[in-house]
Parts: sequence; C-alpha cells; structure tokens
Amino acid sequence: MSHQLSRRRLLQLATASAAGLGLAACGDNGSGGAAAGGDGDSGKITVWSWTTAAEGLRSVVPSFERDNPGIKVDVQDVGEPAIWDKITVGLASGGKGLADVLHIGVDYLPGYLDKFPDGIADLSKLGADKYKDAFAKGLWPTVIGKDKAAHALPWEVNPLGLFYRKDYFEKADVDPASISNWDDMIAAGRKIRAANDVQLLGLDKTGATQDMDFFQNLMQLQGAFYFDHEGRITLASPAAVKALTVIKRLNDADLLADTAGQGTGKRLLSQGKLATVADAVWAAEYLALKFPDQKGKWRVMQPPAAVPGGKRNVIVNSTYLTVSASSKRRKAAWRFIEYALTKPAEINRIFTSGGVFPALTAAYSDPKFSAPHPFYGGQKVLKPFVESLDSPSEATNFTSDYARALKFASDAQSRVLLKGADPADSLKDAAEQLAQQTGRQQAA
Amino acid sequence: MSLAPPERAPDTATGAAAPAGRGPVKHTGRTRPDRRRLLTRDSVPYLLIMPAVLGFAVFKAYPIVASLWISLTTGNGDDRHFTGLDNYQRLLNDPLFWTALKNTALILVVQVPLMLGLALLLALGLNSTKVWLRPLWRLGVFVPSLTGLVAAGVMFSVILNRDAGLLNWVLSLFGIDRVNWLGSPFWARVGVVLVITWHYTGYNAVMYLAGLQGIPNELYEAAMVDGAGPIRRFVSITLPQLRPILLLTVVLSTIGTLQLFDEPYVLTGGGPDNATLTVTMYLYNNGFKYFDFGYASALAYALALIVSVLGIVQVRLMGERR
Repeated sequence: MSHQLSRRRLLQLATASAAGLGLAACGDNGSGGAAAGGDGDSGKITVWSWTTAAEGLRSVVPSFERDNPGIKVDVQDVGEPAIWDKITVGLASGGKGLADVLHIGVDYLPGYLDKFPDGIADLSKLGADKYKDAFAKGLWPTVIGKDKAAHALPWEVNPLGLFYRKDYFEKADVDPASISNWDDMIAAGRKIRAANDVQLLGLDKTGATQDMDFFQNLMQLQGAFYFDHEGRITLASPAAVKALTVIKRLNDADLLADTAGQGTGKRLLSQGKLATVADAVWAAEYLALKFPDQKGKWRVMQPPAAVPGGKRNVIVNSTYLTVSASSKRRKAAWRFIEYALTKPAEINRIFTSGGVFPALTAAYSDPKFSAPHPFYGGQKVLKPFVESLDSPSEATNFTSDYARALKFASDAQSRVLLKGADPADSLKDAAEQLAQQTGRQQAA
Repeated sequence: MSLAPPERAPDTATGAAAPAGRGPVKHTGRTRPDRRRLLTRDSVPYLLIMPAVLGFAVFKAYPIVASLWISLTTGNGDDRHFTGLDNYQRLLNDPLFWTALKNTALILVVQVPLMLGLALLLALGLNSTKVWLRPLWRLGVFVPSLTGLVAAGVMFSVILNRDAGLLNWVLSLFGIDRVNWLGSPFWARVGVVLVITWHYTGYNAVMYLAGLQGIPNELYEAAMVDGAGPIRRFVSITLPQLRPILLLTVVLSTIGTLQLFDEPYVLTGGGPDNATLTVTMYLYNNGFKYFDFGYASALAYALALIVSVLGIVQVRLMGERR
C-alpha cells in the first residue's frame, strides 16, 4: 500500500471531507426527522428528569425491569433549568443526543410541539389515547399537538394551596377560616406582621429568576392567563391588572420579602421569616422534607380568591413524560412511560419517593391521600388538594410564546415593585412589546 | 478556488494533460522535491494547518454562513421561509435590543478604561524591583482570571447579596447602609462592572507586565541622563513603547465586553428591569428560550457588525502611524 499522496490529492481529500461534514451538518439542521428514530422494543433506554422527580422515577425501575425483561432503564438527573437547554438544543439539532424519555413541564411542552413538530414522538400511534380520561380534568388537551395526536402522558398535576404557619396566625389572633380572598389576606397580613415581626410571603422582586408563579396563580384563580384560548394576548387584561395590583398592595404594606438571589427564599423559610407559602401541592412534601424542625407548625388551606367571591381552586401547572421521535427504542420508551404513569401502585411509589403529585386519578384511592400528616399537626393535608381536582379547572393556554410572555410579565412586575410603576401602565407596555415580538393580536 | 501557484506543473499522478497555451515549467533555481510524495518541504505546512482548516470549516465557517442564511428567514426547523431583511427591520424597532445595546455600551465605556487603567497601575507596581515578594503578588493578581466565568458569577451573587452578603457586611463595619446590589438597576450595573473588573484586570496586567519588560533599559538610562523625571519617562517612553500591547488589550477588551454574557447571566439574569441585559444575553434568550433562531441570528450579525466597526476604528485611532 502506497503512502505517497500528491499534494493535490491531499487538498482534494481535505476539501471533500470538509464539504461532506458541512453537508452532514446541513442535513441535520432542522426540527427532527433527520435523526430517524426506531420502534425498538428492547435494550437500554435513558430518561431525563430532575432532582426529586428523577429520584421518584428511579423507584419504579426495579419492578419495571422485572416485568419487562430485555429493557434496561437509566434515569438521569439532568437538573432544572439545565434540562430545558439540553432538550432545546437536542430538538433543534434534529433529535441528536436526546434521551429516549423526556420529562417536560406544561410551560415548555406546547412550545416544543409547535416549534419542533417532528421532535416528540406520536404516542397515539403507540396506544396513548386509551388513557384520555385517566388523568385529572383539563390535562389531556395540553398533550395534543397540531397533528391532533397525543405526544405525552401527564405525570404530575399541581393544584394550588396556601401553606401557613399556624403559630403565627394564632399569635396574631387571625382565624384562617375568615380569609376567603386576598383583600382579607392583606388585612390579616398586617396583623401577622405586627404580632410576629415576619413578612407574609416571599417574592423574587428583581425578576432575576423570572419566577412569576404567584402573579400567574392570581390570574389563573380568575380563569385568566397571558393568552386566551385563541392564543391572543391577555397580559393587559383586567384580571392581570388585578393580579399585579394585589402584589403591589402586598409590597406597599411591606408584606413581601425579597427572595432574589441564590437560596434566599429557603433561608428565609428556615429562619421562620415567612408566614405563608402560596404554592402548589408539591410543596407539601418539600416543606416537610426541608424544614423538619418546624414540624407541627404548618397547616394548609385553600388559596384565597384573587377577587371577592372568586374561585379558590386551580391547577397551576403540570409535567409530563414524552418520548423523543429520534429514539431508536420508542416502543420500549412508551412501555416504560405507560408502566410508570398509568398504574396506581407505581405512580404512588413515585409520589412517595419523589413527592411528585400524580395526575392519574385512579391513584387517589390510595389511603395516603386521606391520611393525617405529622408535619402538619395531623391535618389530612392532601385531601383538600384531591378534592380541588374534582371541580373543573380551566386548562391554561401556555402557547409557544410563553417564555417571551414570562419575560415581559416579569419586567412589568419588577417595574412595579422596584420603581413604583402603575400596574395597568406597566402591563400595557408589556402586552404591546409581546405583540410586537410575537406577531400575536391582543384580545379586545 | 485554487490554492496552487500559477506556475504549477500538470499533475502527472492524475494523468491530467498540461493546459494548452502554457509554457514550460519555470523553476526558481532551487531544486524542488518530488511533488508526489506526501511529506515534502512544500506539503508539510499544508498538512500542519489542515486540522485547523478543517476545524474552522466545519465548526466556524459553516455555522457563520448558515447563521447568515437563518437570519434572513423565519419559521421552525426545516420549515423556514425566506423573509429577506425582515428580522433586521424588526431589530431596529425592538426596544429591548436598544436597551441591551445601551447597557453593553455603558458597561464598555465605564468598565474598559477603569480596568485597563487599573491593570496598567498594577503592572507598573509589579514591574518595580522595589516590590518585595514580586512573584507572589504577580500570581495573586493573575489568579482571578483563572476562575470559571460562571463560578465568578455565583461567587459574587453571594458576596453582593443584600441581606447576607460579605460586601454589605464589610460596609456595615464602616456604618454604611446596606446596598441593594442586585436589586436596584443602578447598583446591579455597578455589580456587573465589579465582577468583570475583578475577573480580567489581572489578565491585562500580566500582558502589560510583559510589555514593560520588553522596553530596553537603555531608553530610560538615556532619558535620565537628559534629566527626564519619572512622569516624563512614563509619558515619553513607557506609553509609546507599550502602544502595541495597549492596542491589543483595548481591542480584546472591547470585543470581550460586547460579547459579555456569563457574569450578568448568573448574577442578575439581565435584571432588574433589564438594567444588565446584554446583547449576547438577549441573543441567547431569543435562540434558546424563545426558539426564534432567525431573529437570534440577525442579532448575532448585528453584533458582529458593531464589533468589527469598533475594532477597525480602534486600530485606526491607536495603531502605528506610518
């Protein structure tokens, strides 16, 4: 074999290989389809999730592997929010490098389904439709893509609650039962603050983390969101103005602690500086786990309505398991999802290990959902959450432009809290910018 | 594209005929080695640069060209539509782009002179033979630039924390009120300037130090014989001699600041109220948060244009005048 190559040949080879690589890269530029998947039913599948959810999911792996010989499952804790960047990059490069099973939140799922329509596998083809009515009301529409097929199974559902420090309320002589809306809560908050020298709630005022859950919850309690069901912008709607006004009033009354910065919120809670936590059901286990020395001091109640007489139950978000279209083992991946999310025993095992509240309604017949919880002084803490899922909750339309809406909403809130801007003006600006950047119409 | 010299001989190995109308091969006098061999004096340089050229073609040239194309389109993935200059037009009417550009310019104007001035002072100090334990000080000055960008951001977010941060604690010892470093638009910018200055001053100081050590001592000796004082020597010898290094650091720092991302991303996420949003952060958000790759590419090209223009202006203003 000759090792003598001419210089021209060398250059030709170099150019050809560069062009080849370039073309290969060209071929991958797009939304899925390029990295063709397969319907393999055996082998090793990987799962991307985060922190306690990943931990919970791992607990179902041994029984799944026992019942499905030939399939091995590797659950990876990718971390949150890092997982969104990893999934986005993977989908944008045609599915290259994605795990077989992806854990995705409702805030990202519609965006992925819209922007990468071929990136997430069609689960209807694999038999997902038979579970249409198995999950909490309002969730199924969120898994449907533009092709009318199901692309995910609901895993976690998060009804909203208000966790409160019973001792602080008692010292201030505030009866939680007397609080039915946020007007009542602000009045009570002043008394609680005076009696205990604590603030009512924590909020990232600078918006560095763009955690807008509280603002969103106040809107969702009014059946509103950043977008209506036609996808029109409602960020400047009366409901939004009402929500931001409540936040401004809380801030003006010095009831809001600033939780900006790494771990600040957790530190304030551990120091007992906050009297309430307005959060979804996942916080029930979180508080018990993180602050064991506050055992017996916490209770939970229905969240106050945003407006007097308004509704007090709402699903604020949910998360899902999906199969990436580029997976070589889509059937095996689907079998794992089906096993983990549709069997009451398995989903409850996940709930016990990871605190992820199941979306599967059949799971709620388990005694643990009506059992007294020692951290909450024997209160049956999960029961009100399960009950709140019985009454219909409006599905929230996150749309593919949620991330951008979140940014503008967060800016509007920061302007109100840091610069004293008027909530209505601030939201009007935000809605206009959102319209300009997305090309969406504003609702009348 | 032909990389071959014009007087190239027809390649006998591939059997290609000599092009008509060409004269005989002109030899330059020295004996040339056999071109058919892989390792010749002529081919070795090509072989040596080939990995770099390949890497450049695949990882730089292709994305650069692809990004230009994407910046002229909208849509998702394969479903892209050519929209001409629409993205660029949108950019001109986007208040957030102008906010990001203004923030970046502000940081550039304040931070780069501050940092380079400080670096020059440090370098002069570190170059002085009167300083005791010089290597130790030099190491100390350079160490911050070894810290990872994200680590620096996280570290400063702890230091600058309003309630529990080290800096406010130190200020409280002097009876100064707590500063809301990351929560007020003004102080958040100061915080970002602080982090970048901490991070890169030592790096620039080391470059100046190298420059200072390259200045011949005879120049100073001659100046002293002529009666020049320290300030005169600094202005007339040190600064002109350092000019190439000064130019290098100014251009590099300008480019670096215009591409500022990691520190403010970790420290403030661009807030509060977009006070520390930079152009690259806005670009990142558009690409990886809003999946708007067309617009993100247009932002990238706008930034590249600004960087090029500023770089050229700086080289023109500060470069050697011949």
